Order: sequence, then C-alpha cells, then structure tokens
Amino acid sequence: MPRLKLFARLMLLPLAREPVRTALTVFAVALGVAVVLAIDLAGNAATGSFHSSLETLSGQEDFEITATGGVPETVLPALTSLPYNLRVTPRMEDYAVLPELRRTLPLIGLDLVSEASRFALQTSGASQSAPFPAAASRNASIETLMARDSVWLGESLGKRAGDTVQLVINDQPVRFVVRGTYPDAGGNESAVILDIAAAQDALARAGRVDRIYLRVPQETSVEPASLEEWRSRLQAALPAGLEVRPAGAATAENRKMLSAFRWNLRLLSYIALIVGAFLIYNTISVSVVRRRAEIGIVRAIGASRVQVLFAFLGEAACIGLAGAVLGIPLGRFMASGAVTLMGTTVSALYVTSRPGDIAFTPSSVALALVVGVAATLFAAWSPAREAAAVSPVEAMARGRREFGVHVARRSSLWLALIFAAVAAAASRLPPIGGKPFFGYLATLLLVAAGVFAIPAAVAFTLRATAAALRSALGVEALLASRSLAGSLRRTSVLVATLCTAVAMMTAVGIMVGSFRATVVNWMDSELPADLYLRPAGNPAADQHPTISPELTAAIARIPGVRAVQRLRAYEISYDGAPATLGSMDLENTQIYRTSDFLSGRPTADVLAELRGTGAVIVSEPFAYKHQVRRGDSLWLSLGTARAAFRVADVYYDYASERGMVLMDRDTLLRYLPDPAASNIAVFVAPGASVSEVRRAIENAAANYRILMFANGDLRAQAVQIFDRTFAITYALEAVAVLVAVLGVAGALLALVMDRRREFGLLRYLGATSAQIRKLILVEAGLLGVLANLSGVALGFFLSLILIFVINKQSFGWTIRLHWPVAVILGATSVVFLATLLAGYYPARIAVRLNPLEAVHEE
Amino acid sequence: MPSLPLLEVRNVVKDYETDGQKVRALDGVSLSVSPGELVALVGRSGCGKSTLLNLAGAMDFPSSGEVLIDGRSTRAAADELTRLRREKVGFVFQSFQLLHTLSAVENVELPLLLAGREKARETALERLRAVDLDGLQHRLPHQLSGGQMQRVAIARALVAAPRLLLADEPTGNLDNATGATILDLLLRLTREQQTATLMATHSMEAAAVADSVVTMRDGKISDVKRK
Repeated sequence: MPRLKLFARLMLLPLAREPVRTALTVFAVALGVAVVLAIDLAGNAATGSFHSSLETLSGQEDFEITATGGVPETVLPALTSLPYNLRVTPRMEDYAVLPELRRTLPLIGLDLVSEASRFALQTSGASQSAPFPAAASRNASIETLMARDSVWLGESLGKRAGDTVQLVINDQPVRFVVRGTYPDAGGNESAVILDIAAAQDALARAGRVDRIYLRVPQETSVEPASLEEWRSRLQAALPAGLEVRPAGAATAENRKMLSAFRWNLRLLSYIALIVGAFLIYNTISVSVVRRRAEIGIVRAIGASRVQVLFAFLGEAACIGLAGAVLGIPLGRFMASGAVTLMGTTVSALYVTSRPGDIAFTPSSVALALVVGVAATLFAAWSPAREAAAVSPVEAMARGRREFGVHVARRSSLWLALIFAAVAAAASRLPPIGGKPFFGYLATLLLVAAGVFAIPAAVAFTLRATAAALRSALGVEALLASRSLAGSLRRTSVLVATLCTAVAMMTAVGIMVGSFRATVVNWMDSELPADLYLRPAGNPAADQHPTISPELTAAIARIPGVRAVQRLRAYEISYDGAPATLGSMDLENTQIYRTSDFLSGRPTADVLAELRGTGAVIVSEPFAYKHQVRRGDSLWLSLGTARAAFRVADVYYDYASERGMVLMDRDTLLRYLPDPAASNIAVFVAPGASVSEVRRAIENAAANYRILMFANGDLRAQAVQIFDRTFAITYALEAVAVLVAVLGVAGALLALVMDRRREFGLLRYLGATSAQIRKLILVEAGLLGVLANLSGVALGFFLSLILIFVINKQSFGWTIRLHWPVAVILGATSVVFLATLLAGYYPARIAVRLNPLEAVHEE
Repeated sequence: MPSLPLLEVRNVVKDYETDGQKVRALDGVSLSVSPGELVALVGRSGCGKSTLLNLAGAMDFPSSGEVLIDGRSTRAAADELTRLRREKVGFVFQSFQLLHTLSAVENVELPLLLAGREKARETALERLRAVDLDGLQHRLPHQLSGGQMQRVAIARALVAAPRLLLADEPTGNLDNATGATILDLLLRLTREQQTATLMATHSMEAAAVADSVVTMRDGKISDVKRK
C-alpha cells in the first residue's frame, strides 16, 4: 500500500497536473485500441454472416452435393436407393429482390412438407414460438405449403400472413402470398422461403436442385466409416461432375478466401496503434527528462533501479489501461460503421454478405485491454530503462537536462541502412500459406529504417534550411528551427510519429490510386459496348441472376443494334476455393473483347483459340491463386460431367478477387444447356443513335426487371463501387493521422511547458505575444513539413511493397504504379493544417505564461 | 551638472496574492537612476530587489505609485510597453539566460531581430567586440566559460543601445576574479554609453563599484549611500 501511495503521488499526480496533455495521450491510445477492436468486431460480423442464410437452415448435415449449373433431380432417387439409409435433403438456393425494400434476399426452396420440422416458421394464428410443423398442421394445408405462390418471410421484413408480395427473380417480377413469417433475429437471416418445386418454377430450373444435403446414418448396419470414407463412398456412387464435400465447406472456403482480405485490414488497423506507441514513447521520455533530478533524489534515498523502471512502466500502463478502457466503447461504436463498409467490400469482391450482429464478447474486451497495455509497455520500455539507468549524483548535480541532447545520428543512419537492406531482401521472399508474411515484415522493417533515418534527415534539413527560413519567415523561424534541431531526439520522435502516419497514408493512397488508375484503364478495353444490361438487384460477386433468352433475342432484333454479346456466369468451386465460371459469345472477337493478356498476345489470336474448343482463359487472380499457367490443364465440373480444359492464356481482371474461368459460350452450352445470359452487352451500329436504341430496349424490356447502363454510367458505377470498397482503408489511415496529430498537440504542449524559461526570456528581450505565438506555430508547421516530406518519401517505398509484394501475394493482381498527385497533395495539406492547428492551443498557452515566473523560477 | 534621471520610481507599492494571502513585496519605494550612473541594490533574499527590477524594466506593474522610464510611464498599452522595453531597457540575469541553441552572436542579435531592426549582425559583432569576445561569436553557450557567457549576456542587453540597463545578480554565478572583470565591464559600459544601470546584488565587491548603494529591507529602502 505505501508503495502504491508513493506511485500515485510521484507518478500519477503529475499526470493530473497537465490534464489536457494527459487527456490527449490517453485519447490517442484509445483511438488506436478502438480501431483495432472495431476492425476485429466488424470483421467477424461482416465476414461471418455470409453463411447464415443458407446454413442456419441446414441443421445437422454431414455432406452437401453440388454441381455447376445445379444437381439433376435424378440424383435424388439414386441416393435414396443406396444401401445406407441416408437422409437426403434437396435445396434450391438463389436470390430474389424485394423491390419495395430495395433488398436482395436469399431465396431458399425447401421440401416443406418433409422438412417442416427443421426450422421455426410462425404461421398466422400460431404462437410466436410455435414450431412450424405444429403451426402447419393447424393452419397450413399441404396444398398451401406446396402452392406455387406461397412464401414465408423473415418477420423483420414487416409482412404478415395474407399479404401479397412482389419479388423479382432473375429478370421476372413474380407475385406471392405471404403464408407466414419466422423469427429472423439473432443470427437467422431474413430470407424468402418457399417450397422447392415453387422455387424451381420461379427460377426456371426445372429438373435441377442447387444443393443436396446428406446426413449419414449414425448407427448403421454397414461397417462404421470415417467422414472421409463416407465422402469417397458417396462420390463413387455419383456422376463425375458432382462434388461431394463436407456440409459447410462453402463457408470454410469463403472464410479462407476472405482471410487475406481480413488479414490486410487487421494489419492496417494496427497502424494507429503503432503511431500511438510512438506517442507513448515520447510521453514517457518527456516524463523521464523532466524528472531527472527527482529520479536522482529518490535513487539517492534508497530507490532501486528496478523500482524506477517499474514506476515509469507503471505510468505507461496506467495511460494504456485508461486508453483501452476508453477505447472499448469507442471501438464498439466504430465497429458499427466499419461493418457496413466491410460488408460492401466483401459483397463487391467476394461473396454475398449480410452484416451480422456485432458480437461483443469478453474476449474482445480482453483483446482491447491487452493490446492497449502491451503497446504502451512496449513503447515505454526504452525510456523507462533510461530512467532506471540515471545516476543519482549526475542527475542531482546537473539538474534537468535538455531532452535528448545526445542522439547518435551516425549509428542511427547505419541502422536505417541495414533495416532497409533487410526489408528489400524480405520483400523478395515468397508467401507462406498464401499470406505475405515477409511483405508485412518488409513493411515494418522499412518503417523502422525510416524512423532511424529521421534524426539525420531532420538535422540535415534544419541546418540546410535555417538561413532560408529566417529570411522567409523572420527570426521566429530561426528560433523554431534551432529549437527543433536543439532537441533533436524529441523532434525526431514527433516527426517519426507523424511520418509513420503520413507514410502509411501515402503508401495506401498510392496503392489505391494505382489500383484505381489500373482499373479505369482496364475498363477502357474491358467495356467496349454501348449499353450493358443485367437483372435488377444489387450486384454481388457470387450472384448471377439471368436475363430471359427471349428478351435477349428481342434486343438483338432491334434496328440499330449491331450485336449482342451474352455473358453467362456460374459459381464453381475449384480446388477448394470459390471461383466464377463464365462463358461469352465469340462470334466477332474484334469488337467484343480487347482485354490485355499476360502473354502480350493479340486478343483476337487468344480468343480464336477458344472458339468451339476445350480451351479457356483464366483471370490473373485465378491463375495466381491456383498456380495455373498458360498451357496447363484445368479439370472443371460442369453439370454431371467432369472435363479437362487447356488454359489458352491468362488475362488481367479486376472485377473480382474470386478468380474467373472464361470459355466460349457454345462450349459451355454443350455441358450446361441453359441459354439465359447473366449480363448482356449491346453494340450499337455505326450511325445509329444510342439513345434511340436505349429507348427501344426499354420498350422491349417493359415486362422484365432489368437494369441498363450506358457505357459511361457503368464505368462510373464501377469506380463508385471501387471507391466505396476502399473507403475503410482511408478511414483507418485518417484515424492514424488523427492519433499522430493529437500526439503532436500533446507533445507541443509539453514542449511549451518545458521551454517556459525561453519564452519568458524572449519576452524580456522584447518579443511580442504575436511573435511567441508565431514561433510555436512555425515549429508546428516545420514538424508538419518535415513529417510530410519524410512520410511521402517513406510512403513511396512502402507503396512498392504494398503493390508488388503484399497485394500480389494476397490477391494476385498486377497493379501498375501511378502517382495520385492530387490525393497525396490533398492529404499532406490536411496533415500540415492539422499540425498547425495542433500548435494553436500550445501557442496560446505559451503566450499566457508569466515571463517573471518563467525566468526567475530556476 | 547631474543629468535628468532616466529611471524614476515614485512611491511604488507592489502587492502579490499568494494562496489567498496578500503579500506586500514593495512598500513605498522611490528611487532614481541617471544616465552614466550605476546604482547597486543590496539586501537579503526576498527583500524586493528582483521585484523592483521587474517594475523598473516594465515587466511588471506597481499596485500603486509610478515608474517612469525616460519620462514615459510603464502604465501604457501592451504594444507601447513592448516598444519601450525594446528601445530603452536591457536585462542581465544571474544565470545568463542565453538560448543554448543559438551561437554567441545570434544570442546578441536576437533583440534586434525581434524588433525588426536592420544590420543586426554588424551591430551584434560590434557589441561582442565591446565586451572583448571578438572571435568567439560562433561558439554555442556551452562552449563558453561562465564569464564569457555573462559577457555575451551583457552584449545582448546593450545591443539595442538601451538607456536603462537592469542587472539581476550579474556576478552571482561567477567566481570572484571573473565577477570583478564583469563589474569593471558593466561600469565601463555604463560610463561609455551613458546608460542608467540598476544592479541587484548580494556581493559587497559589486556594491563597491557602484555610484550609489541602495539597501532594501522588507520591501522598503532602508539606506542610500552615495559615493
């Protein structure tokens, strides 16, 4: 207890004496912790939910059977006739649009009569918790259950039994009667449930089901077998194209596919915390320097080095704990925003996702506390050790010394060079388990190199610019520049803090800007048509609703339409990862596709190879993910068949990270004879009016629910989706910069308090309040400029690692380097202004200091 | 013929509030210093010497009474006060109060730069020559001895050719021999440049070189001795 009392008196009370500065530091840590927590919570919510609609209803199943284009119904009797007493549950699984709520909902077709007991549906007149069979037996006849117009909806959609509801399925509006609702809170997703036959009708997929779930007998007369043995047994009994895999495999595949995305986002979320750690380092360093004499006294009267070490670590831990405690509710709040942003990205690039509930668990709280306290302790270790090493005699004799008089610039520079060299070497190493660990390491090493290079760079820049600064901005600039150079260690820490934030912002800015420019450039060749059509609803990487073939034919007949290109897409699983299989018209390759190929071959040559043959082209992410090269063979499951296809080439593709395999339409139709297209591109004949053709298409499509985009609109929409996708990365960078700026404000405040004597003296020498204010603001501005310059330079090198190592190894995209000058200029200007603003309050404090006390207090 | 006093302190009272208690630091003090005159203020610690210097330098204001520098009251607007300090007053402190990041000549030219004066460097170098520091202008304070630092401080105090020089224990941090040299320098510059110099000191040696010695006790002047 006495020790705690002493700790509170000596270490905590001084923090309370500078409430603004302490609050800024705690808040900076809180923001860092909050971002980490928010991304963790939001990541779980946004990516954990994509399975909920389909799998919460699947119950205890062992296997699922899927096939590209659907599983033929004929498989069902084949399965039931096997001597294993399997429970066989067929499913239709697709999506429907509820236009009145502008929502795309999972559409699930179940064998309602036999499967009714598997989930809770609340029908009219039934009690809230009544299970479906009870309710059905009382209120719903078998005829009602099986009626083609019967649907059951999640009760959150606001419909009641007896209401009618219009849904858009593919491009068709269909009217249904709501027969009941089911509770869709707590993990049960809102979906449209109907009988399997009705679903087949509505989806125009007679004779096929999307998935068959299997439950193998638990106690069986046949010899016991492992799940893997069961899988082989079942697979052997089925046609080659059908895939038997453990139930939930799709979820596992999706999780795996998303893991790189989550990893990268999680690491980005730690930037704010790293920046916060710099600030803790600075805060504790200031604390050590200020209390040098005090440390000498307590050491002289019996305190041990370990006690001094723990005192300063304890101070840091208190700041970390306070930051973490504040960061927890802040993180929970930020998670709500982050989950929406992440959900958008996941849907656009990977798989349909419905943001789930944010699970705020004790482990989340523990994560925040551990992260907050660990980061502060780590950052405080070095200054705390310095405090412990203080010799009592020296400390008392010399009194307070200036902060960091001694900075080993030369050895720091050598360290910087070594770190940079190791970073360069690490960036050349391959990924481990698909994750660019060495890329991350290279990033950290490069940041460390930058940090170690900063003292020399700052000293050189300040020395080189002192005269120019003085003539441009007056004596205040000279004093500011000398003061920054005079306390080089403190200045370097502050510049390093801001520099890290600016560097990461620049790096991400260059990466996203390069990606954006690459995508825009790619769209020029990828989108040559005048008009594009797709069924109504929100686009998602794994949803491929179709356009009626009659409509496509009608559009092709419209005068002024030169050609219609049909693209059909299916979801497939290739080598344990989700992917998209597509087919396209190749009748006139000159106008249809001008994509770039990795081989550099002319497009016409590559596409000619596909026409009517067993050749495919694959997207770059697919090729990277599955290590596929031109000339390799791919085994694809198409319907009930399994066939090998030769890879004619690899093409650049930025539409989705899932990976795509593309073949000739005629080739695919041989396996999957469904003629409907997922998207169509309309080429208007030379001389014909695009707007007239558009009007004619609108007339022809009056009874269909399709969306039509002019070329420019589609590009604009794509860019908009792209920008939304990366909004979260910008948000993370903004928080890191905010943390840095808060830190600079706090540090400047400390600087002002520590230089009271100097400001007092300047008043004695005739300085006006305005001059003192200008001096602080110039210092803040210089910090901002130094951080911006070093941050942009470091950020450029970091961007190379992000683009050519981390992005490539995580996602497989080739991004061409591009400088988003306006973005970088804008961001650095904001940082500069924010730093100036951070100097404003300390400047006011400096002006208010009493010069008499300041000069005579020594 | 004695010239008109440059500094006039007229019946000045200064009260401070400390922890809710009123403390009278100066109680009816009157004093004058003429150009070319060096006046020493002596007395125990806390007797009000530093307070009087601050009032004399227009860094603080009397609770009652008046301080006139070259005939101008220190009860002026802030801008005018700054100008008054820049033009008329120079300060020398016990602990030198040099900016450790600036070289000797930069410290000396600082008041001129703050006032926006032209030819600051030439004037500063001239002042450094006047205090016998020719050749040391580019040294940083920690590269100078205590006596040299105090010379720099004196050169800085005199760089703007002030009419009034206020020195607070200028030899307090120096050994006897160096202190004596600094006192000689102060006296010489006082005479040469016709500044009115008011020096607070504990040192009998310092008081001995002054034209007048004013003894203070408990905020009041208890004795005045003129040579």
